[in-house]
Amino acid sequence: MSDASTGAVSQIIGSTFDAEFPEDKLPEIYNALKIDETVKGIEINVTGEVQQHLGGGKVRCVALGSTDGMVRGMTVTDTGAPLSVPVGKGTLGRVFNVTGDAIDGRGEVDHDDRWAIHRHPPKLEDLSAKTELFETGIKVVDLLTPFVRGGKAGLFGGAGLGKTVILTELIARIASAHGGYSVFAGVGERTREGNDLWLEMQETKIGDTGRSVIEQTCMVFGQMNEPPGARLRVALSALTMAEWFRDATGSDTLLFVDNIFRFSQAGSEVSALLGRMPSAVGYQPTLGTELGELQERITSTSNGAITSVQAVYVPADDPTDPAPATAFSHLDAFIYLERKISEKGIYPAIDPLASSSRILDPQYVGERHYNIARRVQQTLQRYRELQDIIAILGVDELSEDDKMIVHRARRIERFLSQPFLVAEVFTGKAGKITPMEETIRSFEEICDGKWDHLSEAAFMYVGAIEEAEEQHKKMQAESGS
Amino acid sequence: MANARSLVKRLKSVRNIRKITRTMELIATGRFKKAMDRATEAAAYTKKISEIVGDLGQADLKFSHPLLEQRPETKRSVLLVLTSNRGLCGGYNGSVLRNTLRHFQKLKETGIEYTLEVSGKRGIKFLNFQQIAIDRTYTHFEDKPTFTEVDELGKRFVEDFVAGRIDRLDVSYTSFESISRQNAVVETILPLAGLGSETDSKDESRSAAVDYEFQPSPKEILEELVPAAFRARLFKCFLDAAVSEQIARMVAMKGATENADEMAGTLKQQYNRARQAAITSELAEIIGGAAALE
Repeated sequence: MSDASTGAVSQIIGSTFDAEFPEDKLPEIYNALKIDETVKGIEINVTGEVQQHLGGGKVRCVALGSTDGMVRGMTVTDTGAPLSVPVGKGTLGRVFNVTGDAIDGRGEVDHDDRWAIHRHPPKLEDLSAKTELFETGIKVVDLLTPFVRGGKAGLFGGAGLGKTVILTELIARIASAHGGYSVFAGVGERTREGNDLWLEMQETKIGDTGRSVIEQTCMVFGQMNEPPGARLRVALSALTMAEWFRDATGSDTLLFVDNIFRFSQAGSEVSALLGRMPSAVGYQPTLGTELGELQERITSTSNGAITSVQAVYVPADDPTDPAPATAFSHLDAFIYLERKISEKGIYPAIDPLASSSRILDPQYVGERHYNIARRVQQTLQRYRELQDIIAILGVDELSEDDKMIVHRARRIERFLSQPFLVAEVFTGKAGKITPMEETIRSFEEICDGKWDHLSEAAFMYVGAIEEAEEQHKKMQAESGS
Repeated sequence: MANARSLVKRLKSVRNIRKITRTMELIATGRFKKAMDRATEAAAYTKKISEIVGDLGQADLKFSHPLLEQRPETKRSVLLVLTSNRGLCGGYNGSVLRNTLRHFQKLKETGIEYTLEVSGKRGIKFLNFQQIAIDRTYTHFEDKPTFTEVDELGKRFVEDFVAGRIDRLDVSYTSFESISRQNAVVETILPLAGLGSETDSKDESRSAAVDYEFQPSPKEILEELVPAAFRARLFKCFLDAAVSEQIARMVAMKGATENADEMAGTLKQQYNRARQAAITSELAEIIGGAAALE
């Protein structure tokens, strides 16, 4: 196909447009089309992606930029290939938009190659079969939803429960201790958050090397202000860059996505504009396919690993909504943030009963870890069951065993909170990194009843259990004086 | 609709609990009436007999009854704990048992040997859980303890005390002061002295004025009167405990019924909302689908 075929815009509907080409030079599906013209003194530079062949030489495209000011009859050039983004070590430390242009104002990007954003997932035979634990230093995560090295973890939660905070915290914890490269994809979230993160990454240092995290990171943003097409494709752009690090350098790569729900949401907006019939709850009928194509590419191969952490917004706190429900099935570790817990002032507001991990299994984490995690969950589960009874009849009516369970569950619940590194400026409490071994021991001792004598408040926002004891003594001294 | 279904289930169970608590409340109200009549009747008798014993103690007599005598050293004591057989009575058992544990601590610190006697399944269960050894248990005292039943215990305590096998008898129970006031207390009822002096101090002027003539002899009268006073006192403890239990149950069940009502209300509201939301989204889907097909 000649790469110079041109056509003309024949219709514009919101952020989609139709273009007419000669019948024999019809652009292929997913090909990028470019419009570069000046209308009434305003330069219009839009990239579109072919989504449908309408027949009669017409194609329907999704615009990856604003369609403001576009008129019918504008010249459309077929690039002859899907959208591509620059890849290579030159992308590190830079900030991109969906089309792979640097938006940090630091000039041209020195890149090794350009890769198309639509790619095939790795073949089955190339997939890595290793399962290894990935320590985060966050007690509740390490104990109940251990991450997999080279696996995918999802942070589910409604509005304002701290998904982005946990994600930033994980970047601060993992990326600063991590030797490989990181890629951050900002999909349809607040631009301010992206800016904060960018500044934060410049300040955070990797270990003791004195280099900032940003030097090992590349960021791709398609935030809320962008049209749906951009939000739909930005995740792919970021993923493509991450894939290059995996395939070309063979290093361990981290991919952070905030927020994968916006990807589905953008898909739904585009779908409506393309005239597809809406499916359950108004989502696109192709919801599963779209997400599957993206998620299947985020995997580890025998060559290199991509460990990914994705935030997933849960609309109206309803996890049965099709978008989060579809995302759920792709993940190794599943963290669910619960409003009731955040209302108690316990952060991270991770629901210890709804969250789970594929590798919370004696085979991977060991018998001891598994048993303690289950004991913690049993205690909390029983407490939850008793809550109706307590609300009606009062604690006095419980049997002695149940009273003990309630007593410990209330302490465990509070002990699951932890001060964050990134929240230090707000809380004034230094962030705590708790090693896995200490986490397990602490919970074991609470379950065994070794710390029943400490007050509930002492368990709030501490690292290992000894710090709870210290806090208890300090609080007693204060109330005594 | 998964959410709505689970709400319906919870709503049903809350309503069932409410039925139970409501019934318990009504039963407790009926029993409380009877128990209170018994307690007030016994109270008059106990008060009078205590007064007389107190007066006699005041009277300058050469003779003293063994039950009145304060031993110089307390070595062995008996602790009698009165709890209920049934639960669903709020903090009734909890406060008695908390008091008991505190008393235990004191006994342990002073190094007094004790034997523990517990009435009521709730107390027995609790102390077993705390792994405290119980020497004797009674479960036959219901909401209408009879004098003969209590007297069996009373006789044994008197015999043991007189024989010097025990030096003190403490009772941990809930004393009934008025309908709105019951206190969990630990009282020493043997030796009886503590009791006599208490009545004394209240009506000092009156008791001093009374001058008794004894017929046939003070000794014989005291032999009769003092044990009777002790038994009445012990019986009063059981009656008080029974009334307090019914009151506690009444109050607890009233609160529980109210809580259940409130909870059923919020659950019903949540269910209605969930149901309405499901209907709305289904409608929107159908309309949206139809519109897209046009």
